[in-house]
Amino acid sequence: MEAKRLLAAATAALLLIGGCGPKEGGSAPAGGPQSAKGRITICLLPKQKGIPYFTSCAEGAQEAAKELDVELIYDGPTDGSPEKAAAMVEKWALQGVDAICVSPNDPNVLAPAMKAARQKGVKVITWDADAPSDAREVFVNQATAEQIGTALVDTLVKDMGGKDVKGEVAIITATATAANQNDWIVHIKERLKAYPNLRLGSVVPSNEDQKLAFQAAQDLIKASPDLKGILAISSTAFPGAAEGIKQAGKAGQVQVTGLSTPNDMRAYVKDGTVKSVVLWNTKDLGYLTVQVAAQLARGAFKGTDATIKAGRLGDKKVVGDNVLLGDILVFTKDNIDQFHF
Amino acid sequence: MRRLLATHEACLAALLAALVLAAWQADPAFVSGRVQAGLLPQIGETALLAVPMTLIVITGGIDLSVGSAMALASVLFGLGFRSGWPVEACVAVALAAGLLCGALNGWFVTRFRVHPLIVTLGTMSAFRGLAEGISAARPVSGFPETFLGIGQGWAAIGLFVALCAAGSAVLARHALGRQIYGIGLGEAAARASGWNVDRLKASLYAFSGLTAGVAGVLFTARRNTAKADVGAGLELEVVTAVVLGGTSIFGGRGTLIGTALGLAVLHEVRQFVGWRWSNDVLNLVVVGALLIGAVTLNGVISRRPAGSVEGG
Amino acid sequence: MRLRGVPGPALVLALLCALATAINPVFLSPRNLTDMLLAAAPTLIAACGLMLVIASGEIDISIGSLMGLCAAVAGTLSSPDRLGLPPSVAVAATLALGLGVGLFNGVLVSLVRVPSIIVTLGMLSVLKGANELLMSGKWITRLPDGLRVWGTGSLLGVPVPIAVCGAVVALAWILANRTAWGRRVFAVGSNADSARLAGISVERTKLAAFGLAGLLVAVATLVSVPRLSVVDSGVGVGFELLVVTCVVVGGVSIRGGTGTILGVVIGVLLLSSVRTVLIFLQLGESSLYWERAIQGALILAAVMGDAAGRRKEARA
Repeated sequence: MEAKRLLAAATAALLLIGGCGPKEGGSAPAGGPQSAKGRITICLLPKQKGIPYFTSCAEGAQEAAKELDVELIYDGPTDGSPEKAAAMVEKWALQGVDAICVSPNDPNVLAPAMKAARQKGVKVITWDADAPSDAREVFVNQATAEQIGTALVDTLVKDMGGKDVKGEVAIITATATAANQNDWIVHIKERLKAYPNLRLGSVVPSNEDQKLAFQAAQDLIKASPDLKGILAISSTAFPGAAEGIKQAGKAGQVQVTGLSTPNDMRAYVKDGTVKSVVLWNTKDLGYLTVQVAAQLARGAFKGTDATIKAGRLGDKKVVGDNVLLGDILVFTKDNIDQFHF
Repeated sequence: MRRLLATHEACLAALLAALVLAAWQADPAFVSGRVQAGLLPQIGETALLAVPMTLIVITGGIDLSVGSAMALASVLFGLGFRSGWPVEACVAVALAAGLLCGALNGWFVTRFRVHPLIVTLGTMSAFRGLAEGISAARPVSGFPETFLGIGQGWAAIGLFVALCAAGSAVLARHALGRQIYGIGLGEAAARASGWNVDRLKASLYAFSGLTAGVAGVLFTARRNTAKADVGAGLELEVVTAVVLGGTSIFGGRGTLIGTALGLAVLHEVRQFVGWRWSNDVLNLVVVGALLIGAVTLNGVISRRPAGSVEGG
Repeated sequence: MRLRGVPGPALVLALLCALATAINPVFLSPRNLTDMLLAAAPTLIAACGLMLVIASGEIDISIGSLMGLCAAVAGTLSSPDRLGLPPSVAVAATLALGLGVGLFNGVLVSLVRVPSIIVTLGMLSVLKGANELLMSGKWITRLPDGLRVWGTGSLLGVPVPIAVCGAVVALAWILANRTAWGRRVFAVGSNADSARLAGISVERTKLAAFGLAGLLVAVATLVSVPRLSVVDSGVGVGFELLVVTCVVVGGVSIRGGTGTILGVVIGVLLLSSVRTVLIFLQLGESSLYWERAIQGALILAAVMGDAAGRRKEARA
């Protein structure tokens, strides 16, 4: 009796999975990297799937994929776990994809898997964040940690009223395991030295929890009467912190800036709680990444070239082994409506 | 009873064969030796943890803190390494930490007679919290190649097979095995029989902790990272594999062969879903659905009266 | 009304508050106290529901994922960027979702006899997956005022979340202490077999407890998520652990059959204040990384206290 039921389950499983036969052109490409099919497969791996920053990059990537007629697989760990990302890289290498574009949440964890993939003949590049240079061919770079840290501090100081403003500045970060945030904090601290009137107070983690960022902003305001500005350096922390300041009635008295997409911060910019949002054109970043990957896979671009013809973006400079996207963008009331990501 | 168990394992084996067949039909590359070998290390730590978990569940208990104990072991390993200790010393510290974690669980369960569910829910927080505090949530990397080599190999799988074989022998033939089943079937009766129930239970939890320490070290070697989020959510996978394998959550029933088959089914389903439809979200749903499906089926088949949080 | 398990946590809470106030008197200001209550409200609402589930001898660790899904549903239905339906529809649908999921858990536990730890462990994953699928990689912005008022509005000068929380606590107290159903819940948790022999339908009692818990999670979501204007995909992660900790610290025994609403209130206040106290104590950024360890230590202390208390009773 029990045997019958379990066997029934087995049959069901067989029908279910067997039903999707190979004719359905799934995401499992046969053949090795030099696939005779001609249509190449590119995998785009974000640090974390499901956050708008990367979703918008993926949209740009899809655009390029359509233009270049390549198959694009966009997948990544929903919890940002670098170990899961490494497992995906390994899987894709086993499947024999043509190129993998990695934004590593922890380069130390991803590097071994990336190197192994390269040994199997897969083209591996990094985008948005870098890994050791022997683990990838080129890095599609939108901004260095130094540029980001500097831009954040300079923007905040400007919003607060200039370098003569005296007071305390706090940072609300994500979790400390994200290599990015730590890098930025190093450069933020460095840049703050240029503003002797400002003092760095607390660095509070928000664990990618908007409510915690909200609470942190309110607690910081109460605990430090001298607080003039907050740097909310994760895309979940920024809206949470802005809301916290707004509900505390301190909009305009305590400035907040950080990294986020214009869509997510638009309401706060419009109502004046936030003066500036720091980022770059994420769609272009995704677009450029796929361009680079496809051209590498097809042999049209070699990592040693000085420029690359990147479709609608025109010619992009290659400095060393970095393909440069361009500049940091600061979104304010004046220009935020031009951007829809 | 034996006949029933044999049937469950046979059915699992049949299910596994059916799954492999279906996968082969959908994409032959998936079932190739090369690919399967490449994917196997990913289930290594889960498999290791499933051995003590099976034994604990047979006694009517549970250990939800295994992932967190792994994290603590990993963090201490990283801390020692960063302080310049030789790798061997770091490994020793990590294993000792795991053992201590397990011993603490065992102490709470036997000395205070608190239900393992709430003890390990508490230690799940406490161990990981300790790991987060100690490491300030910062990861450590950069371990020597020789150490990383342990992780790339089949150490975890090999150890699992060895433990499985040894454990099966104990369960089937040794007096300890009879006691483990006995406790699960009725703890009061087990005590009345004169068995040292507390010592056995405490040892099982200590064993679970030690295994978590080993898993933590192996994971750190495999992924080149020692940090506080290691093993997060792993308890779900381990319990799913154990339950799939036919071990009753009420205690008194289960085998390690069943667990091995449960692991295989879980692994193949997960990997195939990821292979075919690369979407991490499905991962979450699949494991949870498998667990609920398996227990529901189990519950519908073998009705047991007055089910509650406490087993025996 | 037995007060086992309450004096301990109450003392710790008082101590922490005293310490924080000594460092910075702003801690006791009406503004700060209101903010802390606002932050604690959703936890307390959910804890009332979970308390009854645990008192009946079961557990539910899927409430965090349920909160995430409720938030996603509320946002998807009401935001003009998504479906743009009237806020009342979104609220009704969210409540129905909470109740529905709770009942689903309850059915599996009471009728199919699946252990609740297993059901809810699996549902934790399934609901999270459903949440991610619904969000499809984008957050939900532009929550309409009709929804936001649940988080930011005021009722006769009292913030809505606190008012709702107060009502829920009062209702839960009445349910637990003054209704036949409440007595049945504790009876079932104490000894399901005796309860059955006494003619109580164990299945229906537990089913109702799970349904109520799910409904209260939806309520908790509605008074917390709209306090922010953006719904992200990480809502509710870790919430179940926090609520279980609060309930256990509040003296509710996991064996079932005992527990008080007052204890739950103290437990929630204690745990909710840990983070704020740590910030006020200004021990540096590393102190916040100990938050989870403190939570774990509190649960273990509560567990030991509970066991010691039982020993004393057994000897008496």
